[in-house]
Amino acid sequence: MRMTMQALLVKALVFASLAPALAEEPTPAAAERSALDTEVQELRRQVVDLNRDLFMLEEDLLFPASTQVAVFVSMDTGTFFQLDSVQIKVDDKEVANYLYTARELEALKRGGVHRVWLGNLKAGEHELVAFFTGQGTHERDYKRGATLTIDKGVGAQYVELKISDKRRKLQPEFVVRVWE
Amino acid sequence: MPAAVLMTVLLAAAAPGDGAAAGGLPAVKVQDLHYGDVLFHFYQQEYFDALVRLAGYRDQGRLAAHARDAELLRGGLWLSLGQHREAREIFERLLADPATPPPVRAQAWFYLGKVLYAAGQFEESGRALRSATAGLPAALDPERRLLLAQGLMYHGRFDEAVAELDGWSGAPEWTAYAQFNLGVALVRAGREERGLQLLEAVGTLVTENAELIQLRDKANVAIGYAQLQAGRPAAARVALDRVQLAGSQANKALLGAGWADAAEGGYRTALVPWLELHGRAVQDGAVQESYLAVPYAYAELGAIGQAVEYYEQAIASYDAERLRIDESIAAIRAGRLLQAALATRDDGRQGWFAQLADVPDSPESRYLYHLMAGHEFQEGLKSYRSLEAMAANLSRWSDDLGAFGDMVETRQRALATRLPSAESRLATVDIGAINSQRDALRARYEAALAERDVTAFATGEERGWLDLLDGVDAELSSRAGDAALDDAREKARLARGVVMWRLDQAWKVRTWQAGRSMRELDAAVYDARTRQAASSRARQGAPERNAELGRRVAAVAPRVASLATRVEAAKAAQERYLAAIAVGELEAQRRRLDEYSVQARYAIATIYDRASAQGQGP
Repeated sequence: MRMTMQALLVKALVFASLAPALAEEPTPAAAERSALDTEVQELRRQVVDLNRDLFMLEEDLLFPASTQVAVFVSMDTGTFFQLDSVQIKVDDKEVANYLYTARELEALKRGGVHRVWLGNLKAGEHELVAFFTGQGTHERDYKRGATLTIDKGVGAQYVELKISDKRRKLQPEFVVRVWE
Repeated sequence: MPAAVLMTVLLAAAAPGDGAAAGGLPAVKVQDLHYGDVLFHFYQQEYFDALVRLAGYRDQGRLAAHARDAELLRGGLWLSLGQHREAREIFERLLADPATPPPVRAQAWFYLGKVLYAAGQFEESGRALRSATAGLPAALDPERRLLLAQGLMYHGRFDEAVAELDGWSGAPEWTAYAQFNLGVALVRAGREERGLQLLEAVGTLVTENAELIQLRDKANVAIGYAQLQAGRPAAARVALDRVQLAGSQANKALLGAGWADAAEGGYRTALVPWLELHGRAVQDGAVQESYLAVPYAYAELGAIGQAVEYYEQAIASYDAERLRIDESIAAIRAGRLLQAALATRDDGRQGWFAQLADVPDSPESRYLYHLMAGHEFQEGLKSYRSLEAMAANLSRWSDDLGAFGDMVETRQRALATRLPSAESRLATVDIGAINSQRDALRARYEAALAERDVTAFATGEERGWLDLLDGVDAELSSRAGDAALDDAREKARLARGVVMWRLDQAWKVRTWQAGRSMRELDAAVYDARTRQAASSRARQGAPERNAELGRRVAAVAPRVASLATRVEAAKAAQERYLAAIAVGELEAQRRRLDEYSVQARYAIATIYDRASAQGQGP
């Protein structure tokens, strides 16, 4: 009995321990799984296409190009400034107040650009004021503002609020730039 | 594949810039704000959102400066969502385009290799991966080599696979996974020595990484059982002792450690790990087997009474477990499994093991961990979660589309009521006449300048004086022979001289002011013309644009509804499929328990037979 049981158990367990490493053997459910996978993939493709169409439709409906203004926030390595939040006022009215998570800050540092506000403005001049709140060097609370006068024309207008490190002065720099 | 490494690789899909971002990952220098917006979501692993935005912005023509990088990223995003066909089409298109620059080309080859690998086309995958060399970011090279080695391994070309990994000096995460897989394959192929060498490298890894610690445990369990099978229990024990006692491989390691001791006749020491297993959850295979191993050791030690007692305990435990399995099968068939599975935080194996202590001991959740350890169930659950996310997404859009429709209708009504009054107001403004008046004024201004006509810039008062003097001069001319008026003539001449002198003095200032006024007039007329044109365009286009938006809303609504119906049907099918896997798995476990129960009964019978043959009781 000794060898029989031992051999049986060891054999069973050797393969139980090795099995997860390799591709699984085909199972009777493989055909069903394949059909389901195909359907899920097809649905996912169609849902992505639909979302793309709806994303564009929503923008055309709510923010037509003739009045559209988008404000983006970008930053480089963020050595001299740890961003907490950005507040945006247009013509003295607050339109956005965004608090950043650690994950979003990482995304910004890696080159991501956050569209913090998408809105509508009539043609003509508007004053945009952005306030950046966070911590400067030595963990000091830091609040800075930047102002820009936008001359809203016929087409959509994009504004970039860029936070960059000014290495020579060891302090952050806040640049507002209008993109054509 | 370790999740952290996968993230690193996916991040590298974006075009690297010249800076180094936090975490040693390449920073991207964005030349289109909208591409940056896509990356913002991509870097947060929001792949679905990133893909939707990327596709939308691309169709809106907002990614011109990053066209090829964006395509590469789009392919990578499809790949990360498991959409291999779409990913493959994009990479092949990039490779067919002669204008694709070498770094993008290298990455396209790499990702195409990944797609082919996932499809099991290892030969083609190998060719693609070997083409992905010049310009490939260094962060992608470890995975390239891993895929090459594994592709070769699946073809049974073990020596080439080993050669591919030899001399590797990169991060241990990559080699560890490759070495483990290759080691196991070699042991299975009968090339034990080389296989065990590779497994040993993983089994002795020094790391703090939780995923690698789990892999190290698996390698040690694999070494332990391979050594046991080869009749080298001492070597097996060394490897099994390296497995952490609280990990997911601990039960297998304890069982194996007992067998290693037993193989050398150390039944008393074998009882230590086996009795430790006795106290653990009985749904685990190794625990179930320990119920046979413990009485077996007692029997070998001559403690026949204890052996019989433990065999009887084993039979009772197996019976109780079979009942629980039946309850669980009934709960699964009643559709309660998915509720329990979806209530968990994630479906990763490690995450599951960590949550094991929290899983409630109810029929529907008792075997979740064991089911989750199976690749097929995990993949099925992942698909189900994906379908759930799609259903939620479609439901949100369905609500939004209702609001969009209302918005279009409201605008339609507003246009119908406001447009006629706006048009009648605008009709009162004759911009052509204003333009002609401005042209006439400019002609007079320029003529006055050319002729230095100082009177052209006279004020109203001065104009009155000049008119008065003209009248006086006319009167005096009619009485030209009257000498009594000579004095008056002289006074009139002097008065005109004074007025003209004043006008001459003011010439410079007044022409400058007039010039400025003319420029302001030009700007105002231009502005009026532009506004009128824009207003006219807006008025003319507004109903059509609104109607077009209405058509788009109407056209997309049935797509949302139809997809929602199909997603619900797919969810139901996926649920049935998951339940079938779970029931199949539990039935297999029940059969295994039946076999164990038979073995225990057989062992008791054998003990009684021997005892009665020897004329003794147990």
